[in-house]
Amino acid sequence: MTTQLQRQGSATAVQGTGYMGDQGSPRLQRVPSSRSNHNAPQFNWSPASTAQEDAGQEAAVPPKDLRGLPIPMALKRAISQVQQMQVPVLSSFQSWKRSKAKSLSRGRKSIRGFLNYIKLWRKSLNQIGGNFGDGVQSYFLFLRFLVVLNFLSFMLIAGFVLIPSIVFRSVASDPVNMTGPAECRQYDHNPAALVKFYSYFLDFLSGTGFMEYTYLFYGYYNNTMVAGSDFSYNIPLAYLFTAVFYFAFCLICITAHMGTAVRVAVATGGGATGSYSRIVFTGWDYGCLGDRSTKLKQKNLHYQLQVDLEEDRIKNEAASLTLGQKIFLYSSRIVLSLVAFGLIIAAFFAIYQATIFSQSKIDEIGVLGLIYEYLPSIVITAGNFVVPVLCDQIALLERYNPSITVIVALLRSVFLRMVSLGVLLFTLWSQITCFQGVSGKCKLCHYNYESYPCWETRVGQEMYKLTLFDLLITIAMLVLVEFPRRIVVDSSSSKLAQMVGRQEFVVPANVLGLVYGQTVVWTGALFCPLLPLINTLKFVIVFYCKKITLFSNCRPAAKTFRSTKSKVFFLLVLLFGWSLALVALIYSIAQIHPSMSCGPFRSLSSMWTIIPDSFYGLSQTSQGFLFYIGSQRFSIPLVLFFSVVMCYFIALASVYGTSVNLLKAQLKLEARDKQFLVKQIEALSRTLGVAR
Amino acid sequence: MGNKQTIFTAQQLDAYQDCTYFTRKEILRLFFRYRDLAPQLVPLDYTDQPDVKLPYELIGSMPELKDNPFRQRIAEVFSEDGEGNMTLDDFLDMFSVLSEMAPRDLKAYYAFKIYDFNNDDFICKLDLVKTLNKLTRNELTEDEVRMVCEKVMDEADMDNDGRLSLEDFQHVIVRAPEFLRLLLFDFHKHN
Repeated sequence: MTTQLQRQGSATAVQGTGYMGDQGSPRLQRVPSSRSNHNAPQFNWSPASTAQEDAGQEAAVPPKDLRGLPIPMALKRAISQVQQMQVPVLSSFQSWKRSKAKSLSRGRKSIRGFLNYIKLWRKSLNQIGGNFGDGVQSYFLFLRFLVVLNFLSFMLIAGFVLIPSIVFRSVASDPVNMTGPAECRQYDHNPAALVKFYSYFLDFLSGTGFMEYTYLFYGYYNNTMVAGSDFSYNIPLAYLFTAVFYFAFCLICITAHMGTAVRVAVATGGGATGSYSRIVFTGWDYGCLGDRSTKLKQKNLHYQLQVDLEEDRIKNEAASLTLGQKIFLYSSRIVLSLVAFGLIIAAFFAIYQATIFSQSKIDEIGVLGLIYEYLPSIVITAGNFVVPVLCDQIALLERYNPSITVIVALLRSVFLRMVSLGVLLFTLWSQITCFQGVSGKCKLCHYNYESYPCWETRVGQEMYKLTLFDLLITIAMLVLVEFPRRIVVDSSSSKLAQMVGRQEFVVPANVLGLVYGQTVVWTGALFCPLLPLINTLKFVIVFYCKKITLFSNCRPAAKTFRSTKSKVFFLLVLLFGWSLALVALIYSIAQIHPSMSCGPFRSLSSMWTIIPDSFYGLSQTSQGFLFYIGSQRFSIPLVLFFSVVMCYFIALASVYGTSVNLLKAQLKLEARDKQFLVKQIEALSRTLGVAR
Repeated sequence: MGNKQTIFTAQQLDAYQDCTYFTRKEILRLFFRYRDLAPQLVPLDYTDQPDVKLPYELIGSMPELKDNPFRQRIAEVFSEDGEGNMTLDDFLDMFSVLSEMAPRDLKAYYAFKIYDFNNDDFICKLDLVKTLNKLTRNELTEDEVRMVCEKVMDEADMDNDGRLSLEDFQHVIVRAPEFLRLLLFDFHKHN
């Protein structure tokens, strides 16, 4: 019916409602064609002169729009021939503008192509995404983001702290006047003269011995304050500012990265709704080649649909429980949560004891000494393996529906990993400052100078050991567990081997490992400035190890991760780790007395005091300016201004949300109106036909 | 290869470049893949635009389509006669739409046509059932198929007429950013 009406006026420009082409596309009409019936758009053949009647519209279609038209090739070629004959009449200014626009877009395209080409590991990531899906690829994308972040942070630290230290070390500098008792200023960092050959290797692994008094750790840096005629550089100030700016830089990078993901998630209305239609319409991968991968993909889709159906069934069941059953379910959930919590507390206690024991045995040598040194790392790693497995089983018993089970188990793992690091730091702090007491060993120097002549180096060493141990465990797992498992499963044909099967690449656990490693680096960066560089190398090695194990040992996962949501989740967990490290940083800078025997802050009562000290060295105008900024007259209006800006953005966001919902409702209404009108037309034509 | 090829005239190659997302080299590469399917049918000289159509059986034996459960629909959608017999124009069209550079709206339009089995420009329940069975190799039970189709209709059908129009389909696609990557033939692999 409608097509007949439209066929009458071919010169009328009716916007085709089916096809959303790019801007400036030709006017489309719905006319049946040989290939398809109603929805095929057709090109408007009317000459360019009618187009120019519209205000400021482009006369002819630029050629690249042709490729985006969904019409058969023969038609496209005919159109391009007609276009070439229709030479538009443009003024010279317009033609110059158009040629400039064309070369600009070509330039932009080539730049984008070049940037895409030099992106790190682009081909590997495409391979991984194609073979194992979006979820696994999101892990590797996250890993790449962390590698770049660490590398840029290292550049920052090298530029402002490392290189000036190297330069000024060669320049003779006058020592700053030292005050304080002599015992506190003693620091014996020279390694023993005659050592066994393997002690170099042990020292490399634990950061002691020959590695202790190097640029790697805080203790090597001097508190040089070079002041030339037109150039001055204050190393302690630079150290502090670099540490603070490093944290700010990481925060900016993470929020910027999260911003793009959140924008996609908000614009598409969240991934939760429409899961079935998504699976059905966007499930099939047309690049899938080969019989085996096709069958696998089909099994995958089958499994996904079954899981979703199962979830709905459980939801319906849960809604129809009797009161008694509900009470039983909720009380069992509370009990099991307490059990899981108790397991986590037990792990924390074990870490606390292990750290105290390890710190007491710091003077052991040889392999036994190495084991004592690594004891906290070993206990943390063991806890991180055992407790999540138990928590998973507990979560299964709690009988939530599948997606909530995954989230609950994940949150418990996050809590365990982050807070176990916090427990380690707390234990170290209690050892160093005797619980902030002023009695006993800490009375003289405000810290335990006997066991920790240079406590910052010791903390840096602990973080260095954690990082290294993490890497060693990854490689050891690869060689000792994953490869043998694959070999056993592939070669033996017993029922047990088939039931266990090849392993799957579990994305959440691996991501938590990355976040944990990055939190360790953030905590330790103040005390071990080269740690970001070590972490960059470590993550590069981890990338290749995980890629090898993925392609050799893993089978494609049956259940895939929803990628848009998970990117935001990863970054949120990373932010949580960042805030923990920030707490540790603030406490170390503001509260703990720096060691008097080493480091750039050795003459100060806390690291923070370098700022007021150098502040009074500034000129009067700068001091006055900074005082003004800090005063109430300036800061309160500033805070008010920012709150107003924030309220504006929140209001804008809510308005956009409401307008999206309104537009969706309007779409529905319009479709219903169209149906109603079509029915009216049919009824009317029927009565007219009958009347005739 | 150089600039001296005698298969197409210069205008033909320019027209193909305008109408597809391929460069000259890629167009020639695709021509040779088309020709390899039936060397005795396809002449080496296309300057006079011969009317050569390869039957569906040959098209369906290509490595990209061989195992794809939707191969028949793909061939039917892109072929001129709607039966799956493709000329060189149709062949190039198909690869252009399924290439990396094609925009999302173009791919969505053709994906809609592929899933519309009875060619009535709407995806009705029967089309959905057929799509689902092809996606899961007929392994879902009747009940499950029925439930999934109901859920899909609930989620996607905006105007409640019991079938999905192109707008409804595009609405689903907008919320799935990975769609672009999925409707893709990686034809570089074979050369």
